[in-house]
Amino acid sequence: MNGHEIHTMTPDITLNPPEKNSYRYLFRRFTLLTVVCSIVPLLLVGWGLNIHYTYFAQTRIVNAFEEQVANHGRFIEQFLREQSTKLRLVADTHSKKDLRQPGSLMNIFETMNREQPYIMDLGVIDQLGNHLAYIGPYDLLDKVYFHEDWFKQVMQKGLYISDMFMGFRQEPHFIIAVLRREGDDQWILRATINTRVFRTLVENMRIGETGEVYLVNTQGVYQTTPRFGGSIMDQADVAVEPFKDPVSVEVFKKNNTSPFSGQVVGRYWLTHPEWMLVVKQARSETFEEMDRARFVNLVFLHLSALSILVAAIFITRYMVGIIRKRDDHAARLNNQLMQASKLASIGELSAGVAHEINNPVAIIMTERQLLLDQFQQTTIEDPAFKDQFLSSMDQIAVQSQRCKRITHNLLRFSRRTRSMIESIDLNRFVAEVVDLMERETKTSGIRLLTDLDPDLPAIQSDSSQLQQVFLNLITNAVDAHEGKPYGSIRISTRYDADARGIFLSIADTGTGIDSKHLDRIFDPFFTTKPVGKGTGLGLSICYSIIRQLKGNITVKSEPGEGTEFIIFLPLTLKEKENGESGQSGPDKTSDPSM
Amino acid sequence: MKGSKILLVDDEIVFTTNMSRLLVNRGYQVTAVNSGDAAVQELEKDDFDVVVLDLKMPGMDGIATLKEIKKLDLFTQTLILTGHGSIDSALDAVRLGAYDYLTKPCEIDDLVSKIECAWQKKDEHVKEEMQENVQKIIESPHSVFDLYPSKDKKK
Repeated sequence: MNGHEIHTMTPDITLNPPEKNSYRYLFRRFTLLTVVCSIVPLLLVGWGLNIHYTYFAQTRIVNAFEEQVANHGRFIEQFLREQSTKLRLVADTHSKKDLRQPGSLMNIFETMNREQPYIMDLGVIDQLGNHLAYIGPYDLLDKVYFHEDWFKQVMQKGLYISDMFMGFRQEPHFIIAVLRREGDDQWILRATINTRVFRTLVENMRIGETGEVYLVNTQGVYQTTPRFGGSIMDQADVAVEPFKDPVSVEVFKKNNTSPFSGQVVGRYWLTHPEWMLVVKQARSETFEEMDRARFVNLVFLHLSALSILVAAIFITRYMVGIIRKRDDHAARLNNQLMQASKLASIGELSAGVAHEINNPVAIIMTERQLLLDQFQQTTIEDPAFKDQFLSSMDQIAVQSQRCKRITHNLLRFSRRTRSMIESIDLNRFVAEVVDLMERETKTSGIRLLTDLDPDLPAIQSDSSQLQQVFLNLITNAVDAHEGKPYGSIRISTRYDADARGIFLSIADTGTGIDSKHLDRIFDPFFTTKPVGKGTGLGLSICYSIIRQLKGNITVKSEPGEGTEFIIFLPLTLKEKENGESGQSGPDKTSDPSM
Repeated sequence: MKGSKILLVDDEIVFTTNMSRLLVNRGYQVTAVNSGDAAVQELEKDDFDVVVLDLKMPGMDGIATLKEIKKLDLFTQTLILTGHGSIDSALDAVRLGAYDYLTKPCEIDDLVSKIECAWQKKDEHVKEEMQENVQKIIESPHSVFDLYPSKDKKK
C-alpha cells in the first residue's frame, strides 16, 4: 500500500445490462408476436365459422319458413277449392225446383256445416238476380243482385270467389257462387263463408309471439283482420306487387324505412281468388335460436382469445424475466472477466517491473555491504561520522527491504508466487495479526477489537497470503481514521456450515468510502490516498489473493460511519493448488510433483 | 569453507564485481563471468566448488546454462540467485538439479550460508564417491584406471 503514486485510469468498459426500456420493448414485441400468431388466426377461424354458420342456419330457417308459408297458402287454397267443389256438387245434383222446396236448402246448409260452421248462409238466385231461396241469419230474400259486381262475374265465369265486401248486410264478408244451367234456365247457388271461421283458419299457423298472418287482395285491401294494427277491409300499407314465384320470403333488416323493418316476411299468391297470403314475424324471433348460438359461440371465442392474451402476457413476462436475469448474469460475468483481465495484464507488467527493480536494488545492497566491509577495516576517529555512516547504512538496508517488499507485493499480485496450502486456525491467525498490528494502531488511538467464533473449524489455505490480506486491510482501516482522534477496528469470525466456509469481517469506524468509489476500489492502481502515499494495489492484491484462495471479498461502506470488508473463505480448496512458498528450499517443498 | 572456489555468473557487471569483492573479503576464491557461455567455458577449464547462477541473462539463460553444467557431470553444486520475478523458474532449476535458490536482493550473509551448505553437500558427495571407489578398488584393484579417467570428474 505504500510507495508508488501511479494513478491509472483504466477505462471502465463494463457491459451494462440493457436498459429497462428495452425490456419493455421486448415485452411488447413478444406479446404482439404471440397475439398476432395465435389470437389473430383464432379470431379469423372463429369469425369465419360464425359467418358460415350464420349463413347456413339462416338459409335453413328461411327455407323452413318458406315451406311453412307455401303449405299454409296451399291449405287455404285447398279450403276454398273444397267449398267451391261442395257448392258445385249441390248445384249439379239439385234442380232449381228441388232447392226451392221448403226445408231442402236448410238440409243442404246443415249438411255442409256438419263439421264446422264454414258457411254463414246459402242462397239460390235466378238469372235476373232475384233471391229464390235463402238460409241464413239475414233477411235477404227480397234483395235483387242483378247489378252487383259478383253477380256479373259469376254469370260470366260460372264459378266466382269474391273479395271481401260489405254488400246488403253491411258487414265484411265474401261469397262463393256457382252458376247452374238447366236447359235455357240459369240460376246461381251462392254461399257466404263464415268470416270468423275463415279468419281462424287463416291464422291457424305457428307464428310465435310477434307473428301475424293475413290476406290482402290485389288492391292491397285486408281480406282478414291482421293481428297488429288495421282491420278487415282497410287499406294495407304495403304495396302489392305480383311476383314470379308463387312463394317468397324476404328478411328485412332493422332501421329500414320499409314497414317490414326488422321482420321476416313470407308471401304466397293464391291463384283463385287472387289473394296474397302474408306471413310476418319479427326477425329476432325467427332467428332467436341461431342468434343465441352465435352469441354463445362468440362469447366462447372471445373468452379463448382473452385467455390466450392473458397467458401470452404472463409467459412473455416470465420469459423476459429470464432474459433479464441471464443478461444480468452475463454482465456480471463480463465485469468479472474485465476485472480478471485487468489484473492479469497488470500482473504481467508488474512482474517485469519487479524484476527490473530487484536487480539495481541488489546492486545497492552489495555496494552497501562493500562500504560496510571497507568501513570495518578502516579506523575512523570521528564518532559522529561513524554514527551517521552506520545509521545511513541501516537506512539503506531498510529502504532496500522496503523496495523488496513492494516488488514482492507486485509479484504476489501478478500471481507469480506459488502458495503453500496448509491447515490454518483462523482465530489464532487473527490473534497473531492483531498482536503484530497493535503497536501501530495504539499510537493512532485506535483500538483493535476481536469477536471470534469459538467453534471455528480449521481451514485449508495459504497463511502468508492471508496474512498479507489482513495486514493490507488493517493498514487501510487504520489509515481510514486519519483526522479522527480515536476509533476502533473490529475483526470478527463466523462459521457458516451451509456455505461450508468462514466469514471474516474487518469493520472500522473510519471515514468510509464514497459510494462513487465503491465500484472501483478493487481496481488496480485505484487509490484515494495522496500522491506518494499509496500504490492503489493493496485491495487489488487482496481481491486477487482471496479469489485465488477460492474465497470472496465484499465491501459495505457508509461515508462518515465506517467501512466493513467481509471475506468468505471456503473450508477447503476444491482444486488443490501446488503448494510452494517463496523462500523455501527444495527440502521444504510440499509440491508432490517435485 | 574458506578458500572454496566460487564461479559467479550474472549479466550485471557491477553486481558481479561487487559480489566478487564481498566474497573475496570473506575468504573465497571467486571467478566472475557475465554470460552462460563463459560460465560453461570456465567450468570446462577449471574446477569449482559452487556456481552462483543468475537465471535471467541475455543469450544462454540460467536454465540452459544449468543444463550444460549438468551435462559436464561435475561434483560442483549450483546455487540460483534470481530476481524475485522468476521464482517459478528457480523452482524449475531446483528440479533440474540446482542445489537451492536465493532471491535478489539478498543479504551477503544469507548467500554465504547457502554457499557453505552447498559446499558441504559437494564435500559429502565427493567423500561418498571416494568411499565407494575405495571399496571397489579393494574388491577389484584393476578397476582403478576405469574409476579415475580424469582427476575430479565422476565416472
